[in-house]
Amino acid sequence: MHDQILREETVAGRKVRPSDLPAPPKSAIRIVQACSSRAISSSDLARIVANDPLLTAELLRVANSAYFGLVSQVKSVVRAVTVLGHRALRNMVLCIAMRDALRADAIPGFDIDVYWEDALRRAVSARCLAELAGLDADECFTAGLLQDFGLLVMLYLMPEQVSHWSTLAEAMPDRRRDLEIDLFHTTHDEIGLVLARSWDLPSELATAMGYHHEEPPAEIAAEDTVLCRVCACADWMAAVYSCGDKRFAVQRSRTLLEECFGCNAEQTDALLQSVSDSVAEAATALGIRVGEQPSFETVLREANLRLAEENLSYQELTWRLEQTIAERDRYAEELHRELELAREVQQSLLPSPDASPSGITGLNLSAKAVSGDFYDYYPVGDGAIAFCLADVSGKGMNAALLMAKTASLFRCLGKGVHDPGKLLAMINREICETSVRGMFVTMLAGVIDRERRQVVLANAGHLPAIHMGCAALAAEYPAQAPPLGICADTVYPVDSFELLGGSLYLYTDGLLEARIAGGRLGTTGLVRLLKDQGHLPLQQRALAIAASVCRPGEALEDDLTLLILEGARVHGL
Amino acid sequence: MYPVEEKQGFSVVCLHGEVDLSNSPEARRTILNCLKKLRHVMVDLSAVEYIDSSGVASLVEGFQYARSNNLEFGLIGVSEAAMGVLRLARLDQVFHIYPSLDDRLGNGSRG
Repeated sequence: MHDQILREETVAGRKVRPSDLPAPPKSAIRIVQACSSRAISSSDLARIVANDPLLTAELLRVANSAYFGLVSQVKSVVRAVTVLGHRALRNMVLCIAMRDALRADAIPGFDIDVYWEDALRRAVSARCLAELAGLDADECFTAGLLQDFGLLVMLYLMPEQVSHWSTLAEAMPDRRRDLEIDLFHTTHDEIGLVLARSWDLPSELATAMGYHHEEPPAEIAAEDTVLCRVCACADWMAAVYSCGDKRFAVQRSRTLLEECFGCNAEQTDALLQSVSDSVAEAATALGIRVGEQPSFETVLREANLRLAEENLSYQELTWRLEQTIAERDRYAEELHRELELAREVQQSLLPSPDASPSGITGLNLSAKAVSGDFYDYYPVGDGAIAFCLADVSGKGMNAALLMAKTASLFRCLGKGVHDPGKLLAMINREICETSVRGMFVTMLAGVIDRERRQVVLANAGHLPAIHMGCAALAAEYPAQAPPLGICADTVYPVDSFELLGGSLYLYTDGLLEARIAGGRLGTTGLVRLLKDQGHLPLQQRALAIAASVCRPGEALEDDLTLLILEGARVHGL
Repeated sequence: MYPVEEKQGFSVVCLHGEVDLSNSPEARRTILNCLKKLRHVMVDLSAVEYIDSSGVASLVEGFQYARSNNLEFGLIGVSEAAMGVLRLARLDQVFHIYPSLDDRLGNGSRG
């Protein structure tokens, strides 16, 4: 029946038969099964045991060991059966049989004693808990010894995973189980349960092997559930001596033992100490080779040292965080200083109002630290003045840099090229050569001949220049060609007109689209505003126009730039 | 996220609402991604209520990318609001503009 179940099981990702798996000798299984039978007499049981002379000899040796300490020495099987009782005999036989289930060299490259040392810590831990749990000490020991046997079987089936043993051995019980899933696609408790059932192990031991990580099913007897809890606690107690994070294992053991058996921290620590004290003795009794066992005090010291290191790490982390914040503030301050510097440099590109020729003024208000708008004017000889106003697409530092480039080109090229159309075409070609991210510049450029009051104007995709006569809109000069920076071969036509007695207004959308009560200024609102303020002196007029659309205390939505050129006064006006 | 439709070998990027500094990087990314995938890309501006210079820059970049890579890039169904901005800046001289994709497919005349 169980063979059938196991045959259909896929163990560690492989289909296996029970005969392929490490198992206790058949004679041992017979003894275990006989022990469970209530009908069997001690003499019959002794006879069954005596059928296996090697097992008998080992049984007498173990039974007389200090660890399993019988009151009196037993020298015969019959005596052993009588003194030990059927249940203790069963457990002792099982321990011996399981220990011998795998030969020392059964798993290539793996020292089985290392596994048994690990298992022995769990067995000793479980035995320490027996009294608290109200269970038989040897029963707990056996369960502890067998609870992870499934892992040994998985390593036997998949010896290529042996290299991961040290990781498995140092992992916390829960983590070890997760690692098993990664490595073997199954877990030791799952395999353990299958094996225990296939060997017809007593149900309480099979349950403990199968359910010391997960809650046992509801139909499991309460006493067997207690054994599961003992094994779960034993797992963590053993981990105190084997895992990497000993402090965590100690804390977890204290919590678990308090939850399961009402132990306080001191009691748990005392039990953990007794584990350390007993491993060597139990190893001698079972004939398992173990290394030197650290005392609980040593483990605790190591754990506290780690805690101190972690505290130091925490302090260091805090210190680093403070350093990072300070560094961020330093960078922010540096960035702020650089933006201020950029702003100063940018403002220096604009003409100084104090040094302006008569009849021309400008104003630039930035929405951000730096602006994408600019204007400029300078004399070009014979009383003529070259002027421009431009707006770079987008905002921020990239717009400001393109603005600086365009302003420099205008200054540099404009001194030699007085035709605004040709000048814009030259600047356009330069900008097209290095255009990035589709950025472009809308620009108005012109020359005003003060003597003849003649204006020549070219508009590259910018808002129309507005020519206000003495009392009304005289003309608008919209763009006749697209902005700079888009097509290198663009031709820029010019408009020529006289500015007698009126003013020419060049502006950016920060003025046209400025929010006013009831919406945005728009062309109609702008013309009305220019008409209303037209009587003011030039500089005062520029400030008044800006002030009428800038609400005190409110940040600008967009850069606002304005350039005003005033035509020569017509006599009599 | 701007929707993209694929129709008869064309990627149609549908910009909508206000295309300004806050969402023009997304418009730019979408347009350039389409140009890297398909040779023919149209931007549908029929649902655009407002477009600022950064939004126009994303169209300009698409135009420039297409031109330097011998791809097709155009605008379709340009809303009044968007057309106002394009006309004012004379960008209607730059972009290929069609009333609809059908007009482009039926060799519709350049707007």
